[in-house]
Amino acid sequence: MATIIEINEPKALEVKNFEFTYAKADAPSIKKLSMPIARHNITALIGPSGCGKTTLLRSFNRIHDLYPGNKYDGEIIFKDRNILTPKEDLIKLRIQIGMIFQKPTAFPMSIFDNVAYGMRLQGIKNKTELQGRVEKALQDAAIWKEVKDRLKHDANGLSGGQQQRLCIARAIAVEPEVLLFDEPTSALDPISTGGIEELVVELRDRVSIIIVTHNMQQAARVSDYTGFMYLGELIELGRTEELFVTPRERLTEEYITGKFG
Amino acid sequence: MSSIVDKIFANTTKLIAFGVLLLVAWIFVVLFEHSVESIKAFGFTFITEDKWAPNVEKFGALPAIYGSVVSTFLAMMLAVPVAIGIAIFLSEIAHAKLKAPVGISIELLAAIPSVIYGMWGLFYFVPIIRDTFGGIGISMLTAGIILSIMILPFMAAVTRDAMNTTPDILKESAYALGGTKWDVIKDIIIPYAKAGIIGSFILALGRAIGETMAVTFVMGNVHKISVDLTEPATSIPVTLANEFAEADSALYYSSLFELSLFLLVISFTIISVAKFYFLRRKRIA
Amino acid sequence: MTHTQKRILINNIVMFLSTLSAVIGIGFLLWILSVLVINGLDALSMIIFTNEGAPPGNDNGGLKHALIGQLMLVSYAALFGVPLGVLAGTYLSEYGLKSKLSETIRDISDIMMSAPSIVIGAFVYAIVVSPMGHFSGWAGSIALTIIMIPIILRTTDDMLQLVPSTLREAAFALGAPKYKVIIQIVYRGAKAGILTGVLLGVARVAGETAPLLFTSFNDNFLNMDMNQPMASLTVTMYNYATSPYEDWQKLGWAAAFILSMFILSLNIFGRLFLLKKKNK
Repeated sequence: MATIIEINEPKALEVKNFEFTYAKADAPSIKKLSMPIARHNITALIGPSGCGKTTLLRSFNRIHDLYPGNKYDGEIIFKDRNILTPKEDLIKLRIQIGMIFQKPTAFPMSIFDNVAYGMRLQGIKNKTELQGRVEKALQDAAIWKEVKDRLKHDANGLSGGQQQRLCIARAIAVEPEVLLFDEPTSALDPISTGGIEELVVELRDRVSIIIVTHNMQQAARVSDYTGFMYLGELIELGRTEELFVTPRERLTEEYITGKFG
Repeated sequence: MSSIVDKIFANTTKLIAFGVLLLVAWIFVVLFEHSVESIKAFGFTFITEDKWAPNVEKFGALPAIYGSVVSTFLAMMLAVPVAIGIAIFLSEIAHAKLKAPVGISIELLAAIPSVIYGMWGLFYFVPIIRDTFGGIGISMLTAGIILSIMILPFMAAVTRDAMNTTPDILKESAYALGGTKWDVIKDIIIPYAKAGIIGSFILALGRAIGETMAVTFVMGNVHKISVDLTEPATSIPVTLANEFAEADSALYYSSLFELSLFLLVISFTIISVAKFYFLRRKRIA
Repeated sequence: MTHTQKRILINNIVMFLSTLSAVIGIGFLLWILSVLVINGLDALSMIIFTNEGAPPGNDNGGLKHALIGQLMLVSYAALFGVPLGVLAGTYLSEYGLKSKLSETIRDISDIMMSAPSIVIGAFVYAIVVSPMGHFSGWAGSIALTIIMIPIILRTTDDMLQLVPSTLREAAFALGAPKYKVIIQIVYRGAKAGILTGVLLGVARVAGETAPLLFTSFNDNFLNMDMNQPMASLTVTMYNYATSPYEDWQKLGWAAAFILSMFILSLNIFGRLFLLKKKNK
């Protein structure tokens, strides 16, 4: 079975016997998966395409619910409750668990309005508060200097790397407890990728991070814990430096040494 | 031998393609030529004069223009909100099992000829208007309503298509920030698809203004400007449909040709604005 | 009420209104459809296919004249319109792909597809009816041809462009001349798409009434001479429906039913062809 190390730190999330089945699929895409996510750490999920890592990530904020017919089983514990129950308030959940996507998703509005969007959804209308928090979020996302003179400009005028940092600013502006990154650099050039990676590491102190990546070097560079998934199962979860140097599962070793991919 | 056939084939296709352009130009030229007599006789007053009296050879198009404008405006007022509602329903609310059948039915209804909408209007809607608002039921209001129902499927289908161009990942991003469906629709989908949505409305407007059969049945062809919407009225296409085959003098014909030209120019302009300003076709690279 | 509760409330109201407008809109359309089917089936009988028009009140009238007239008008329109449209579309896709001329022709065709068809009737009146001195089937067919060409042209253009260029290159590499490549390879590859375009084009002109009103005009009896005024289902429907006679109105519904079913089946077949193509 899977090798999952004990995590002695507080946990942000706890996945228990989780199964996920897509609408119209016969078999679950994720099978009986259990996994702790350490609080204020970066957990990377790696594995070959189709292993279920993105599917798992998209379960944490239940974005799967946008498409009818998908089915969850088991539990994901967040703040002492199972978030997979039908009575879960998805709006509140998604404010607490933010997400960054594979491609930059600047909304068709100004830079300022993009960052303020989540706060406005929560009913924050006070101009000075909005301005203060937008500036802070942009500073935290290391993009303030580049955009401070053009906050009213259309966000789609920014470069890909800038847009992705804008999306991170937008996500952290509402002060989530968990941030989900779904291959956030797959559409970016190497320099922008480096910038995003630095940013992810800096955010660790204030938010728990789960990052899906198909780039093993990226996982090794940024994460504290790494989970290796294969065919819908978690094969191994360990401290990143240990998992990459001394993997305990044969499959993990074969994957990280490039025997399959 | 082959190279000669090759040249003949290439040039034939080119000639025919070019012929399409010539044909359209020819339509404008012919309509203009036949309008000359009326243009000479009435000049600019053709579109400002409100008297259309074939018996005394006096032709003023204002009542028809007024009718076209008002009936189209009414139709747009009624159809736009419902079309948006249907488009939202189809792209964001309907269950997957409902989406395809309802969507396809709407597209098929857009293919039903307008003469059928007109006939339905005459037999089923005119009595309702008569009983509700008084009058004879044949009226500007009836025409506006039937016109709105006729353009509804087209409008709903293209609005839905425009809304569907919003990338899923962009919508998911807004949901991931805790947005409701309506938040996502008004903040993401509508701004993103704005050009396409406005373009499809203008295109529907361009079609509505030239629509003949849906309104001919229920408008009455009365050349009188009345602010009372329950009075019979006329529009440019309704006038053409009713009077072209019966015109009995050269000036009468010429006036009808001028009306046709006027209608063609107006709809050509509206459709061009929709197509080129809002719905620029994506060039195939 | 918190802001989020308010948002949820507004969301629910809008979702309700959208669903309601969908129900209203679709309700109206279902109403029209059911009226059409009920009245149409009620009016259908064998007489409709075997008898020509008759004076009102003698219950003997049929639609044979209009059915045959319609068939002739549309068939001739397709006979002219399909080859012209396909060849013009071939030029756009295969010869002048991105040239200014091609782009202009595409733009103008797009506009003509939405332009008022009654104006085409006026144009044909001027160039055919007026010089000939009388209405005729030819005039009606010419008007329908003009309406059909841009539709066929644009679908052909689009469908030919979907044929992968590697297919053309492979044929050229074998030394085939261009016209053979187009006729034997490209047309074959785009067969289903072009056929769909033709079906939709025919469906579109089959429902046209306005351009026939003063070109082919009408005839209450069977006439197969294209030089004479000719009945069509659409104009017959218009004349019968606006007449005060109940038996004529009934025939009008029968015509409406037959025409709608014809047009709907063409549309459905057209979609099926494309679907089948996609699934391959």
